[in-house]
Amino acid sequence: MTTVATASPIEYPSRHDERWRYAPHDLLGRLSFGPPSASTGKLPGPIGAQIPALHGPLIVIVNGVVDELCSNLTALPDGLRLSTLADASTDPAVPVAAHFNHDVDAEADVFMALNTTFGVDGAFVDVAEGQQLDAPIHIVDVAIPDETTNTSCSGVVIHLGTGSSATIIETRLGGSDAFGGSNTRTTITLDDHSTLEHIVLQDMPSTQVHLGRVEVIQQAGSTLRARSFNLGAIYGRLAYDVHLAGAGAQTELSGLYHGAGEQTLDQQITVIHTARDCTSRQSYRGVLDDESAGVFNGGIDVRPGADGTDAEQHNDNLLLSNRAEANTQPRLEILADDVACKHGATVGQLDANAMYYLRTRGIPAADARRLLVNAFAAQAVDDIGIDAVRTWIRGRLGSADA
Amino acid sequence: MLQVDDLTASIGGTPILRGLDLDVGAGEVHAIMGPNGSGKSTFAHALAGRDGYEIGGAATLNEVDLLDMEPEARAAAGVFVGFQYPVEIPGVNHMYFLRTALNSVRRARGETEIGARDFLAVAQEAMDLVEMKQDFLHRAVNSGFSGGEKKRNEILQMAVMQPRLAVLDETDSGLDIDALRIVASGVNALRSPERSMIVITHYQRLLEYIKPDFVHVLVDGRIVKSGDHTLALHLEDHGYADFVNHDLDAPDRPLSGAAT
Repeated sequence: MTTVATASPIEYPSRHDERWRYAPHDLLGRLSFGPPSASTGKLPGPIGAQIPALHGPLIVIVNGVVDELCSNLTALPDGLRLSTLADASTDPAVPVAAHFNHDVDAEADVFMALNTTFGVDGAFVDVAEGQQLDAPIHIVDVAIPDETTNTSCSGVVIHLGTGSSATIIETRLGGSDAFGGSNTRTTITLDDHSTLEHIVLQDMPSTQVHLGRVEVIQQAGSTLRARSFNLGAIYGRLAYDVHLAGAGAQTELSGLYHGAGEQTLDQQITVIHTARDCTSRQSYRGVLDDESAGVFNGGIDVRPGADGTDAEQHNDNLLLSNRAEANTQPRLEILADDVACKHGATVGQLDANAMYYLRTRGIPAADARRLLVNAFAAQAVDDIGIDAVRTWIRGRLGSADA
Repeated sequence: MLQVDDLTASIGGTPILRGLDLDVGAGEVHAIMGPNGSGKSTFAHALAGRDGYEIGGAATLNEVDLLDMEPEARAAAGVFVGFQYPVEIPGVNHMYFLRTALNSVRRARGETEIGARDFLAVAQEAMDLVEMKQDFLHRAVNSGFSGGEKKRNEILQMAVMQPRLAVLDETDSGLDIDALRIVASGVNALRSPERSMIVITHYQRLLEYIKPDFVHVLVDGRIVKSGDHTLALHLEDHGYADFVNHDLDAPDRPLSGAAT
């Protein structure tokens, strides 16, 4: 493994670290990192078919470098700056650093450090004050492992100006069946009264690892709706650290993880309330088949002074096999007054009565099972406003006709 | 049409059906009455193919053996069971469920599937039959339905599926008089020379609306008495006392008050 070029040495995560407890440490040890190698127009054909068909601004990142031939950065709407992170970082007029590295108390780990070192390119999205963007912005990250560096690093920096709104979709894919993966970091800054809909679609090959991290800081009256679909990879990790720093900010985090085979799908969610009267919701559903494992480690951290906080967390799991497992852990720390905080978790199996009922109506067992699984998952899918994304997810879950 | 010979069913070694014999001809309506725990619902589920029973004996529909089939294959063969406790299925759209059910049996029979638009007409007719409002189709299956709506929904499903054999398990329980009338008129409208029905009930009341061709008394997993609709009237007056605790191994002993 390449040496990490940081000032202070950062330890590889240990099994005793609760946030990495269910990770496949042997696989993590086999990931190799290095500076990105330039690639243009190398996007393998089959990948194209896997990308949701959104028509609008598009940035495609291949092995940590933006592939401008595959991207669509022309005819951008007024008030949207969309560029490569590399370009934005060298433009003195763009304060990228101000939107990076914000103090969200997100605990540093070795992969974040590696991302800081090698994830020098990616996407930069800046929406000007008061702009309401209709067309969704699509950021596609593709990892194609090669022999020297099997894991790509990329960054996405998002800033929404005061009163603006946007929809951003991040799709993470892998371009070969070789072992490797991707390590992505998204930092989001939402100024006062801005609204972001942020969707992550993770569908890496089952030979690869995805380490995805999203850090958010929200100012007064801002709204985040973040949804994640953690579907692919042998180990798919999506970590969200959301800091509600301005009064009256609202955040709604939801997600679906759907595992089979030997997948481990890991959600590490922390919402930190430091301002008054903020609302947070976490709602994650897991469907786990075969020998797959799901992890939900969800934190609500209400700091002193965050009075009037209203926070809820729900995690529901459906086990389709007696070898599948769901690990759910709520972490609540409340150090403020006048706080409403609820959490609940369930782990269950398919309702045998419902299966029987459907089958007596002539619906074959496999179809009945799919119908019930999709009904369970539907909560996370149905209210997505973008047809192409909804269609993509349903297609991926085998419920295209539902 | 339906021929049941010496049907036995037990759960974990506890016998529930102890040798049930029944012949139901095409177009006939048979009522099965009996006290709690006599095996009425077990009989319905043994025909439908519920897991968890040890089954013996034979049950054939038009000479096709039902007992080795999966529940969905029995549905394709024409069996429909109206549940005493219809199952709530949150998240499954009712219209989608009905069309999937109908198209599943059509596919199993090698028939062409029905498209969404044509199905709407099928569904509308079935809804009219049980006086259901349009919004009903857009809700989740039985989810949040009242007791009466659930039972009407069973009849609606029967109307969509057009089975050869309908087994209605206590479809009248929990219904007020208006809902009972709607359910009964739905059932009557679906009577046909090609369709047989078994109506399982506790009460004679339903049989005032659905006049059966035959009435059977089920006690301790066997049919101990069969007759015409007047047997139901007798049961209404005298209860099952004549049949319960009766020594079933000595059938020659006269039943007091029973028609012989």
